[in-house]
Amino acid sequence: MISSLQEDLESKFKDVEVRVLEQNRISVLVPGDSIPVILRYLKESGLNHLALISCVDWIEQEKLEVVYVLTSYMPNDTEHGPEQRLHVLLKTRIPREDAQVKSAIAVFENAEPYERELHELYGVNFEGHPRLIPLFLEREYEIPPFRKDFDMRKYVEDTFGSIPSVDG
Amino acid sequence: MDRNQIAKWLKSPAKMANKYSLHAVYFCTGCGIIEIPPVITTRWDAERFGVLPVATPRQGNLFMITGYVSLKTLRAIIRTYEQMPDPKYTVGFGSCPINGGMYWDSYNTIKHLDKYIPVDGWIAGCMPRPEAVFIGVTHLWTLIDKGKADGYLRYKKNYAAYRRNQEMILRDIEWPPLYPVESKAEEVSV
Repeated sequence: MISSLQEDLESKFKDVEVRVLEQNRISVLVPGDSIPVILRYLKESGLNHLALISCVDWIEQEKLEVVYVLTSYMPNDTEHGPEQRLHVLLKTRIPREDAQVKSAIAVFENAEPYERELHELYGVNFEGHPRLIPLFLEREYEIPPFRKDFDMRKYVEDTFGSIPSVDG
Repeated sequence: MDRNQIAKWLKSPAKMANKYSLHAVYFCTGCGIIEIPPVITTRWDAERFGVLPVATPRQGNLFMITGYVSLKTLRAIIRTYEQMPDPKYTVGFGSCPINGGMYWDSYNTIKHLDKYIPVDGWIAGCMPRPEAVFIGVTHLWTLIDKGKADGYLRYKKNYAAYRRNQEMILRDIEWPPLYPVESKAEEVSV
């Protein structure tokens, strides 16, 4: 199953790097533009569950890596047991300064809160997202707080440390 | 009833009634709330101490902040606290409301709860045991007896300072001040 999917991906799309991490778990590195197309292809080939969208900040390489974790809903019987279940980590690398990815909402509707979360925590812009408004955070941050160059202690000192205590 | 306390009951019945009917607002914050169900149910049975959970802040007079306070939660805490009728008592439960605890360098968690609302007592620990809640409650009784659990009075007295701190940390507070705050024009002219 893995080898056929690997061959399919490598023949149908260009610039795709497939790595087999372990049994039934592969990582696919693709260019940023082709995310919706490849997501749709993977969904149609049986990976119908987008479990998570995450992000990694590679500050030394000036890249942000957006990771889509895909797996499939399957009946839990002997024929489709856990050994048959495939996990795909779909990754794309985008520049840190101009972090733009096409939104995956058209393919997976549940991508909406994940993309909002990444927008506020990593500052990734998702093109075509209907409402990129803050999800968890109350304040506005100059640098998104999950990026590596966000100086947490200085921020805490400036924000929470500057508030005077109330006497009396 | 304890015979030794009859004199106290006759002297200030309202205070004694307050003391033995602490109604805790069932407000869940952070991980400490996991200690509260065993405290109020059969295992430790908080009703022995007259502590009952209530559903809405308008029926409660004991407010336990049971864990770390993020900015969004702070907004809810202030609204809840201002809805409670006087006299009201606030207890910070666990390390996080005291000084941030393990979230001391978090970007979205407030560090000192008593900068935003008045706190009458703290129960330190991560997590405090249910027994610590009862020690806290009995200590609160002593404070009420001595008239030292005066957080609601301090809130009224220093409301301008509390409101200023709340506005500094939460931009655009959508509710009006609870007590009149003198205008800022004076500060500017000085």
